[in-house]
Amino acid sequence: MSLASPQLVTLRALLERLIPADDFPGALAAGTDHFIVALLAGDAADEATGIALGLEQLDAEAVARHGTERTFASLAIGQQDALLLALERGEPATPWPMPPTAAAFLNRMVTLTAEGFYADPANGGNRDAASWRMVGYDPRLPPDPSAP
Amino acid sequence: MKADGFDVIIVGAGLGGGIAAGVLAEAGRRVLLLERGSALGYRDIPGDHLRHHRLTAYGDNTTRDAVGHPRVFVDPSGATRTVLPRDADYHHNAFTVGGGARVWGMQAWRFHPDDFRMASRYGTPAGSSLADWPLAYADLAPFYERAEDEIGVAGDHAATRYAPRDRAYPLPPVPLSPTGAWLARGAAALGWDHFAPPLAVNTVPRHGRSACVQCRQCIGFACPTDARNGSHNTLLPRALATDRCTLVTRAHVARVLTDASGRAAGVEYFAPTAPGSAQLSRHTARARTIILAGGAIETARLLLLSASPRHPRGLGNHSDHVGRHLQGHYYPVVSGLLPPGVENPNLGPGVCLATTRFNHGNPGVIGGAMLANDFVKLPIIFWREHLPPDVPRWGLANKRAMRDLYLRGIDLRGPVQEIPSPDSRVTLDPVVLDRFGLPVARLSGTTHPETVRTAEFIRARAEDWLRAAGAERVWSSPLSLRLSAAQHQAGTARLAADPRDGVTDPWGRVHGHDNLWITDGSLHVTNGGFNPALTIMALAFRAAEKIARSG
Repeated sequence: MSLASPQLVTLRALLERLIPADDFPGALAAGTDHFIVALLAGDAADEATGIALGLEQLDAEAVARHGTERTFASLAIGQQDALLLALERGEPATPWPMPPTAAAFLNRMVTLTAEGFYADPANGGNRDAASWRMVGYDPRLPPDPSAP
Repeated sequence: MKADGFDVIIVGAGLGGGIAAGVLAEAGRRVLLLERGSALGYRDIPGDHLRHHRLTAYGDNTTRDAVGHPRVFVDPSGATRTVLPRDADYHHNAFTVGGGARVWGMQAWRFHPDDFRMASRYGTPAGSSLADWPLAYADLAPFYERAEDEIGVAGDHAATRYAPRDRAYPLPPVPLSPTGAWLARGAAALGWDHFAPPLAVNTVPRHGRSACVQCRQCIGFACPTDARNGSHNTLLPRALATDRCTLVTRAHVARVLTDASGRAAGVEYFAPTAPGSAQLSRHTARARTIILAGGAIETARLLLLSASPRHPRGLGNHSDHVGRHLQGHYYPVVSGLLPPGVENPNLGPGVCLATTRFNHGNPGVIGGAMLANDFVKLPIIFWREHLPPDVPRWGLANKRAMRDLYLRGIDLRGPVQEIPSPDSRVTLDPVVLDRFGLPVARLSGTTHPETVRTAEFIRARAEDWLRAAGAERVWSSPLSLRLSAAQHQAGTARLAADPRDGVTDPWGRVHGHDNLWITDGSLHVTNGGFNPALTIMALAFRAAEKIARSG
């Protein structure tokens, strides 16, 4: 399955908080959202339903904490971070109807985001090797490998 | 394909099988080498940082047929799960021509002389199956040397004092990095021996292949210059060059056939109907000698799958040892931060300094481990495993820690010799079948709890080392009791002089089956406080030489 449009908006807002931009691009600028969407349609397809539900629940959390008409993406940065910290502590404001629990969902999204952002650019979430340039990593593979 | 006319059938083209193929083909034998994986070139093994043999959450870079080949894992609480190779509980090793050595870390250690006499030195703890090997270090020493010479090991023979070589290694040792030099000062301050670990890598060009270029995508990946040594680029090409070795890939052996006298007569296997065909069909091949080298999990499974009316519990299972004593290594990992000013060029392979100070003679614990620094680290591995524990897992603080600390990370680890348990084992699952309808391997039990005590002792010594070197911070996590096998899997068809004590005779021949041999880690009575590959290789050379001489 693929994520619906509102879920993609929530996903992108979430990525901005998990690995924000600073002097170096953050996860969103590096294309990590594309990595996650592709992974949920491929090797992590069994997780796609749970993650889609979790992204919807982030909006429910925004409503419960800040009133109707709000979505996670529409919150201020400080509000988003406070919400995520509460989930991480296992203190959601809404009942999470399924596994993963709120904390497990956040933990999984943190891992997926880091995997996309810090993996090789061919995985799609580390455009122009942005994270590798930031940490000082280059695989230094020979341009003309002699191995058969 | 021509299914008869072979002298020897070898199951598995990893280190043990590839070596046996080379020795026996060069000795004039006609060899059929059956490998369940494919022959993969450098470009066939992707440099995917999320799918390789140190990070398999979404798959790996050598497995081509995960679906249809599950295993069943029983955790210590008794809960049962069906697992695929990407799951850590599968205890996977690479399924490909060359085996795990296509992607290994290349540490090519001899076991310590006392590793062969653990029960004599320490006694056997209640509930464990700790035993002496039915051979001594001296019996294996010439074959260690042969493996080092023919596979190609780089090392410092004068400094490797616990297991001395008379002559220099065939390749000069890996260079000492600035972080290695920093660790050496720490070891010297503590009065610990320290030296360049032996690695099976071309530190200089050899036998027509290039030297290591110290790239940063090493362990878990294929080598871009073919400088990583194994059977796939030494003994196996030699076997094929004789024209007496037929390698069949994607060949899954279903059972070993035995005759009325108990002798192995041949094997049944599933393999492509015609070369290159996607369709697999059943084949039978016969030979005078059969050698199993599929790793400790699959070799045990095959012995059990080969039950017959005469051997209802499986071949070699006369004393209920097949599949038991499954072991690998416990790895305490201690992380720290290099102090400012210590240069870290972060070059591969990365492992360049080791101590064997704690392999034996540790107060109050059994055995011990070699300790060394680790391989060059991918950023995603560093993120997963090596950030300080108080760094938040997300947000700007996490990103800045990655930026500031990636090149300051240092970690030590060591393969702790396990105290085996008969309850850590491979059996045939009563329910789950593979794509051919054969019961899959079921892994259950744990190693003996004494192993955890030794591992905790070693973890504390690794912390001592980083602190003595001047690490800015040092941290690690305690180890807990679990089943351990994975890439260092061993013990499931152990050597024993007396058939009551094990599966194979002191040469690796299955008791009761004169012409059925094993040349993989299954043979190991104990698995040493070292990476086990060189011992697998030495035993394979020794067994193959014996078979070659037996006419």
